Amino acid sequence: MPEIHVTIDGVPVTVPAGTNVVDAARVAGISIPVFCYHPRMKPVGMCRMCLVAIGTPKVDRATGQVEKDAEGKPIIAMMPKLMTGCTTPVSEGMVVLTTTDEVKFAQRGILEFLLTSHPLDCPVCDKGGECPLQNLTMEWGPGNSRFDYSDKVHFEKPVPLGDLILLDRERCILCGRCVRYQDEIADDPVLGYENRGRNWHIISKSDPPFDSKFSGNTTDICPVGALTTADFRFRARVWELKSVPSICTHCPVGCNIALDMRHDQIKRVMPRENGAVNDIWICDKGRFGQRFVESTERLTTPLIRRNGELVATTWDEALRVVAERFATIQREAGGEALAGLAGPRLSNEDLFAFQRLFREVLHSPHLDHRVGMPGEPHADNLGTELGVGSGTNLMTLGKGTTVLVFGADPEEEAPLYMLRLRGIADRGGELIVVNPRPTKLERSATHRLRYRAGSELQFTRALLSVALAEVDTQQRTPDFPGLDSLRTTLQSIAVDAAAEAAGVTVEALRTVAQRFVQAENGIIMYGADAFAVGPMLTHDLGNLAVLAGKVGRANNGLIALLPGGNARGALDMGVRPDYGPGYTSLSQPGLSAREIWGAATEGRVRGMYVMGIDPANDFPASRGALEALEFLVVQDMFLTATAQVAHVVLPSASFAERDGTYTNAERRVQRARQARPAPGACRADWTIVQGVAQALAGMLVPVAAASQSATEGYWSQDGSEQEGVSRNGQAWNYITVSDVADAIADTVPGYSGITHTSLAQTGKVGTWGRQTNEDYFYDGTNYENTEGVGLQYPAPVEQQRTTFTLETAPIQSAPIDERYPFVLLVQRLLYDADPLLRDSLLVSHVPAPYVAISTNDSRRLGIQAGDRVRVSSSAGGIELPARVVVDLTDGSVLIPAHLSGAPLSMIQTGPRTHVALTKIAQR
Amino acid sequence: MLGELFKGLRTTLRYMFEQPVTVQYPEVKRPVRERFRGKHELKRFANGLERCIGCSLCSAACPSDAILVVPAENDPENPTSPGERYAATYEINMLRCIFCGYCEDACPTNAIVLEHQYELSFYDRHTSIYTKDMLLVPPDQGHGEIPPILEQLGNKRPSPPAQIDL
Repeated sequence: MPEIHVTIDGVPVTVPAGTNVVDAARVAGISIPVFCYHPRMKPVGMCRMCLVAIGTPKVDRATGQVEKDAEGKPIIAMMPKLMTGCTTPVSEGMVVLTTTDEVKFAQRGILEFLLTSHPLDCPVCDKGGECPLQNLTMEWGPGNSRFDYSDKVHFEKPVPLGDLILLDRERCILCGRCVRYQDEIADDPVLGYENRGRNWHIISKSDPPFDSKFSGNTTDICPVGALTTADFRFRARVWELKSVPSICTHCPVGCNIALDMRHDQIKRVMPRENGAVNDIWICDKGRFGQRFVESTERLTTPLIRRNGELVATTWDEALRVVAERFATIQREAGGEALAGLAGPRLSNEDLFAFQRLFREVLHSPHLDHRVGMPGEPHADNLGTELGVGSGTNLMTLGKGTTVLVFGADPEEEAPLYMLRLRGIADRGGELIVVNPRPTKLERSATHRLRYRAGSELQFTRALLSVALAEVDTQQRTPDFPGLDSLRTTLQSIAVDAAAEAAGVTVEALRTVAQRFVQAENGIIMYGADAFAVGPMLTHDLGNLAVLAGKVGRANNGLIALLPGGNARGALDMGVRPDYGPGYTSLSQPGLSAREIWGAATEGRVRGMYVMGIDPANDFPASRGALEALEFLVVQDMFLTATAQVAHVVLPSASFAERDGTYTNAERRVQRARQARPAPGACRADWTIVQGVAQALAGMLVPVAAASQSATEGYWSQDGSEQEGVSRNGQAWNYITVSDVADAIADTVPGYSGITHTSLAQTGKVGTWGRQTNEDYFYDGTNYENTEGVGLQYPAPVEQQRTTFTLETAPIQSAPIDERYPFVLLVQRLLYDADPLLRDSLLVSHVPAPYVAISTNDSRRLGIQAGDRVRVSSSAGGIELPARVVVDLTDGSVLIPAHLSGAPLSMIQTGPRTHVALTKIAQR
Repeated sequence: MLGELFKGLRTTLRYMFEQPVTVQYPEVKRPVRERFRGKHELKRFANGLERCIGCSLCSAACPSDAILVVPAENDPENPTSPGERYAATYEINMLRCIFCGYCEDACPTNAIVLEHQYELSFYDRHTSIYTKDMLLVPPDQGHGEIPPILEQLGNKRPSPPAQIDL
């Protein structure tokens, strides 16, 4: 981009063409005050606050040359009126004056006018203290007003825009930032303007009002106190808050958040700027859904079962009993009689200590981070193995980038990714959305394809086939094992037939393949609907990325959207039956969660340790197995359904009450800090696990065989790893959580070098940097990231350490059971019956369960919206009210996951379930 | 020698017939000056509503961090103070207070006033914390009418202006 030279208040600066005057002045360290302009959105020039005097070199019309004065300097022709800096792009030789009397007069006038109808109720305003209107008035405003105070226009206050956001119309200066944010960034155009003149207001146009999952961000960018959250309303003054950096554990994005604390209470949750993760935004679940931390239902003491009742006990006794019972089982039946489940929200340190306890102390290989439900995602290695290269920053991607979203609904599964992907599309990148059903991201896509649910593999095979042809014509064939056999397999595929089976045209497939192969950078993101097909599909996506050469570099690779905030960390730490920490293969794989339930019912597994996960609630079929156990320990924040049948319940600290590191979907390891003391006797999970391990010392039968082999795995060539494995046997003497992080860095391949010290050194980074007056863009928020942006560990494919082979398993065409003609699509929702949403304002946003069917199917079966329908499969049946959805494909039904009253595990027979519908009652 | 003794006693004798400077505290209490800064009082409006709107500006102005304010939202049906917000908790630690009067200066509604009560002594530190009910004047002791601007919209909870009847 050509460079432009401008002079602002006598300071010469050079900026890229297209920069506006406000941003150019910022480079020169000069502040031009703004209200409506926000660097993340298009300028509109609504508030007129950025008026400056602008001049350009005088050009002789006859010659086209710049006129020079006697000293040889260009003659500057000042524009007759002041210009808005935010909407004026710089031009060569431009001169900008920001401090002339004329500019000052205009700035004072604008502020005096803005304040004519401002109520000046700063003492009761939640924005007071971090308010751009206050700050700009102090810096640029007039000392007093010529308008009579009693002439101010008053409105009723506050008006709820939705149940989360309140509007105070008196305070609003109508800059339109919120409306533009909803239109441009969130793609939920639910806000608008109403009336004119003094009655000009912001209104919500949607039903339910302000229906957006990103509504909280409007309160951050609002330059006055017009938009405030119901969550933070009158909770504290902003200068009283102490902000503690943390990481949101609700979804795999790993948004950087700040917990604003006062008196050890979370007053509000704010985003921290991290260009590589969440930019300056967070979703409403991250902002409003952290109230569980202060729930009165939290456990505060260890509980032990005596005479059938859970009664409070001490840590000493609880840990002793746990150790004794585990030791007894291990002595009598060996480590194989013990099993452990740990939730995918826990920190890496907890998960690492947990798997160490099982693999090294108890010698049990039975570990998992899932509950064993039929519809759960498989353990996805590809997100690491072929994951996006280290240094990936979605913020910087634009033209030349193609993102393929396959079977994922980022808005519900990982909301912030929707904003990031929309940003890429906005900057000129290609966004291809391939789904079996409509999603909101489709609206922003440059190409969208709908495949027929049930023929995903035909789709990917046809896509691979045309992609291979495209790769061949471009002579960009990758050097990867298995290419020749893949070529043979793909050539045997009839692309036309496969495309038709998948319900798409070959032409559309070819376009998608071309866009993806030809792009400079390519990313494939896959989620719930892709996992519903199983590992064959994700392997096909891996094949596609490898074929197109979109792996092993920054900004290229796969991103898997797994449920749980730290699912990637759980896979990396080896809380899984098939691999050890860092994907080291095991000599003897253990039982997965699903197999554990069978083994527990048969008595082969006699004792279990369940940490931060609730199988009895999520998968009711596991209840019998849990009750059959000889000994069950549950470690959780709440008395969950599983905890109610436990023999010992250990209270654990929430993410806000301990330090820890979390790994996001892009393999970025980020650190969260402790914000408040744990309630009662709660302890951090890793501390409890260590306590159990220490109590077990000397009680167990020694087992000689090492359960872990370091000869295979992605990082196996690394010499240092041998040393690491030998250090596995170190004593349980972690004093702080950073000791555990150091142990992870030492022993888990891939995590080497990721310690709390190195994470701290990632420093204060913001892509926009801070200004002379740092407040004036981001005022009202504490975006500054003091905790560092985290470290992205390299994907194995970057270091040529992948074991990935190009191959396609033959499609098993299971005979379609005529009795169950519909394909069940399970939709993961952001606001589901997540127990961690308790006490938050979002509880009312959780929908009642329903089954969605297409218009044609509803007509054919005579089902109308609201009718009760029985959804049955070979496994069982559930009754739900029906909804008729226009753009759902015929032959598929959609049921949201994890809603109370709709236990999907009752009907799911595997990743992909076929169901039948019967109408049982009229509405 | 004797002469000097009488010289001294003369002064004593003279003061025997003059008004004493001291008072018999606590039976007799000396009046304080108009601008004396003693114990704080939280004032009310004549209709019994509290003047304090829970803005915490007193606490922000306090140089010795003696004031704790926890705000809350008024029930529109049964408001504690005019406007949207009131102080749910208002505490002053009298051991910390240096009676500088900055809180009074900072108050936008003239709710907190340092009055003339100076008998502040405690047997333990806990009793040095004066809670809201100890600071608030009785409901019948009003301190001025609500300014008309606050009643402009009836019960629609208008915003309290920056300065109420100075």
